[in-house]
Amino acid sequence: MTANTAVPTRTSQKPTAAPQRPRTSPVKFLKRVPVQLSIAILLVVEIYPLIWLFMGSFKTQDEFLNSPVWAMPQSFNFDNYVEAWTTGNIGTYVGNSLIATIPSLFLIVLFGVAAGFALEVLVWKGRGTVLLVFLAGIMVPGQMILLPLFSAYFQVGLTGTLWPLIITYTATGLPLTVFMMATYFRAVPREVFEAAALDGASMIRAFFSIGFPMVRNAVFTVALVQFFFIWNDLLIALTFTNNADLSTIQVGLLNFTGEFGAVQYGPLFAAICINVLGTLVLYLFLNQRVMKGLAGGAVKG
Amino acid sequence: MVSVLSRPKARAIAPVIASAGALALLLSGCGAGGGSSAQGSKDFSYLTNVENTTIRGELEALSKDQCAAENKAAPLKVETVPQTSLDQKLQLLAGQNALPVQYAAGNAPALTQDLDKSGNVLDFEKALKDLNISDAILPGAAATIKSLYGGKLNVLPYQYNVEGIWYNKKLFADNGITEPKTWDDFVAAGEKLKTAGVTPLAASGKQGWPLTRLVSGYLFSDLGPDAMKKVADGQAKLTDPEYVKAAQAVADLGAKGYFGQGVGSIDYDTAASQFLSGKAGMFYMGSWILSNFDDKAQNKIGEENIGFMPFPKVSGGKGIDNQYATNVGLPMTFNAKTYDSNASAWLKCIATNYGSTALKDKNSISGFKLNTPVDNIPPLVKSTQETVNNTKESVLWFEALFSTKATTTSQTNAAGLASGSITPQKFMELVQNDLNSK
Amino acid sequence: MNNVLGDKKAIAVLLGPALLVYTVAMLLPVFWSAGYTFLSGNAITGFTFAGLANFEKLFSDPAVGEALWFTIRYAVVITIGQVLLGYMLSLLYVFALKRGSSLIRTLVFFPVVLPTVAVALLFQKMFEIAPQNGLVNSALNAVGIGSIDWLGNGSTAFLVIVIMDLWRSMGFYAVLLYTGLVDIPDDILESARLDGARGLHLIRHIILPLSLPVLLSSIIFSINGTLKVFDSIVALTDGGPGSATTPLTLLMFRTSFTYGDYGYGSSIALLLTILCLIVTLFIFRSSRRDLTKD
Repeated sequence: MTANTAVPTRTSQKPTAAPQRPRTSPVKFLKRVPVQLSIAILLVVEIYPLIWLFMGSFKTQDEFLNSPVWAMPQSFNFDNYVEAWTTGNIGTYVGNSLIATIPSLFLIVLFGVAAGFALEVLVWKGRGTVLLVFLAGIMVPGQMILLPLFSAYFQVGLTGTLWPLIITYTATGLPLTVFMMATYFRAVPREVFEAAALDGASMIRAFFSIGFPMVRNAVFTVALVQFFFIWNDLLIALTFTNNADLSTIQVGLLNFTGEFGAVQYGPLFAAICINVLGTLVLYLFLNQRVMKGLAGGAVKG
Repeated sequence: MVSVLSRPKARAIAPVIASAGALALLLSGCGAGGGSSAQGSKDFSYLTNVENTTIRGELEALSKDQCAAENKAAPLKVETVPQTSLDQKLQLLAGQNALPVQYAAGNAPALTQDLDKSGNVLDFEKALKDLNISDAILPGAAATIKSLYGGKLNVLPYQYNVEGIWYNKKLFADNGITEPKTWDDFVAAGEKLKTAGVTPLAASGKQGWPLTRLVSGYLFSDLGPDAMKKVADGQAKLTDPEYVKAAQAVADLGAKGYFGQGVGSIDYDTAASQFLSGKAGMFYMGSWILSNFDDKAQNKIGEENIGFMPFPKVSGGKGIDNQYATNVGLPMTFNAKTYDSNASAWLKCIATNYGSTALKDKNSISGFKLNTPVDNIPPLVKSTQETVNNTKESVLWFEALFSTKATTTSQTNAAGLASGSITPQKFMELVQNDLNSK
Repeated sequence: MNNVLGDKKAIAVLLGPALLVYTVAMLLPVFWSAGYTFLSGNAITGFTFAGLANFEKLFSDPAVGEALWFTIRYAVVITIGQVLLGYMLSLLYVFALKRGSSLIRTLVFFPVVLPTVAVALLFQKMFEIAPQNGLVNSALNAVGIGSIDWLGNGSTAFLVIVIMDLWRSMGFYAVLLYTGLVDIPDDILESARLDGARGLHLIRHIILPLSLPVLLSSIIFSINGTLKVFDSIVALTDGGPGSATTPLTLLMFRTSFTYGDYGYGSSIALLLTILCLIVTLFIFRSSRRDLTKD
């Protein structure tokens, strides 16, 4: 009953497994009522706030402050969106977020999966210790590395670019990725790679041609996780950018606040909706990939 | 490298450190064309809070008009940071000796003084004298700045705000209330408003400071303008009975329901909106609120219905007549370390032009002398500006001379004081403890 | 055979880049910052050697005690909540919804996508009491209970934080755990069913042990995330009312950058790191033991 026996791609390929469907009986149907009820509640709890957010993006400041929370907006015009896009400069911020996120994500996945492979599949003395060193990185509060990193980036002359963000995101994203990938590789029997090596492939090639594809579902999961960490980060972005041209979307959302604490709710909600729409498209796309990956795994094995 | 990496971590780290430099070089090569934030008098760099659009907007306007020559010599380069992370940014920049030529000098005066002690803040008294424009700053504004920074003119008065109580003239008239002169009248007015179903006093407990302003207002009125200075100097403690009395007075207002329910969750906009929609009769706020009053969409009671009064006198108190608290907004200063001929040219141009252009373009009242008369400003702005000009003696605010820690404690606990979840004694104790630990 | 798997060049190429970036941009700064624990002052005023004063202060500071207690309470409640709800959801996906679960999975996952600022605003409005009642207080009023000032009181504010963070994260943990559950081979489940295993029994004796690895990494992940909570609390309560909901991270950030005591701030960070370390090592050890046990 160890994880080693439960290799996903090896066993679930059996053609008998997929189309299996239990018979439906009246008892079963009754049993499903609480399930359906809980799904219904779940959906309301998840969807209502989103609708509220979207409605909020059409409200005026006055409606925010004086109408009940659940009231519908009085009119559907795009003033808030125009305001968010022009005054709020949301376009630039989304661009910056993408420039910071995509390279970091690429580096995290490439470095992290490779390191996970080296730490779990390859056999060498001290690998347990190195894994622990990576694991320790999950525990460090991000606030702690800000001052040293700021000094370092400044001395090297990276301040005023998006490089500090890319480097910091990559470094902070690695521990979790390495750890998770090591866990996933643990489920793959070493014999697969040994066989590849006997065929004359080097271990590096074996990694790219066998190891990486084998865990690609996990890669998508990890990438997804990291994407939202990075995309929603405020602390690091705030620390290493000091220029509106470099601000990421999360920093940009603070632009709708005034010096003495006033908030422009309408444009803020519009900006949030633009932000959410972008991530939603990306998520749906990635989600498709995850699904395809899962299905592909079941067929090919 | 290969063999090293396969050994345990302790020995593996050293060579990696050695190669860190190589990586850094590599990365900086990639980042070529960036890395522009290094200081230098080539630019007139200006770090400001992103929330304040007025000052940077005006400076950008000046750079194209009155200060075009200065801008040619040293172009204005604005960098922004959200106000909440300003203090952090200042620390990081000061640690690298990389503060810009002009910058927002921290959320609390204590931080500005730290910056001054480490030689990062220009002495404007001397700088303006050298430029022969010592009169460019209004005497009242200069006095406010000096009382904040231990007698030194450390910052520029881009804003000069006067604080007091705004009231709804119509609600006052409807309920037979005249402008309250004393604290007792003030409390009585609150009672009448409450009976009429109006929230007597709109205040943002979420931010805290609108509530602690009432505590300090009471203190200045009761114990005299030096009440908070005494605490700062250690001659008095907030836990002394005469100080706790002021916290008690504010707690009493809360207990009577004068702030309405849930004062802790009322934010700035909600408080302003309560007042401007006629749901609240009075509103303690600074003159920066005038831009909201001027906005027809927000102001439903009409500008002509808004009155402005000084903080009421506590009977038998030692306070000054017509007591207003004043401030210069988020402090803006020049970096003493980068002050050169380009910077001084900018300073001269700003000091001689900003007052008039800001008032003309943005209805923004500053502490700079008006060198060109400005017409056509809204009546309420005009009368407030006159109040500002005529204020010779003013007081500071509750946290003005506190450490940043005591400031945070005071403002985060203010709502508890007003809602009764902590006692006045406890409130003053918490703040005093933080003052002691400094 | 171990020769092939012990290929030095492969180890260097595959592990090198990750280790290098991680060491330079994470490990070194951590040690650098840890060095500040013996200093007092900040980057503006300059640093002075303080010996062990920061650590002495750490153990006598009531603010640290309060923040530590809040952090632990928060971490325990949220970790249990996240993993439990996530696990229940993933069971729902796999066994009740089967292949049709994609849409619901997406919807439940979605709050993770929302910016923290947006989620905090949402919950502030839901639990609002002034200027008008939010949804929650309106519902309470409808059943005859008076309005509650949710965020104005330490214990109710804690409750709102818990509800908010669980709402945000349960879908995420559900997806994480789902990947573990999908990997359980159907034939194992089928043979267990043939043996008469049903419902809770099936979950406890078959599914739970098989999904243990992914469950454990979720717990490690969750506890480390929750011990380091920052964004969501800053956005929702900013540590208030008073300091009732201030976690160690926020106290550390304020001490370092607002109060200008960087050395002491680093000491608080060190305390937090050690706390995370102890908890993780504990879980990690037990997970290793479970995995090697045959």
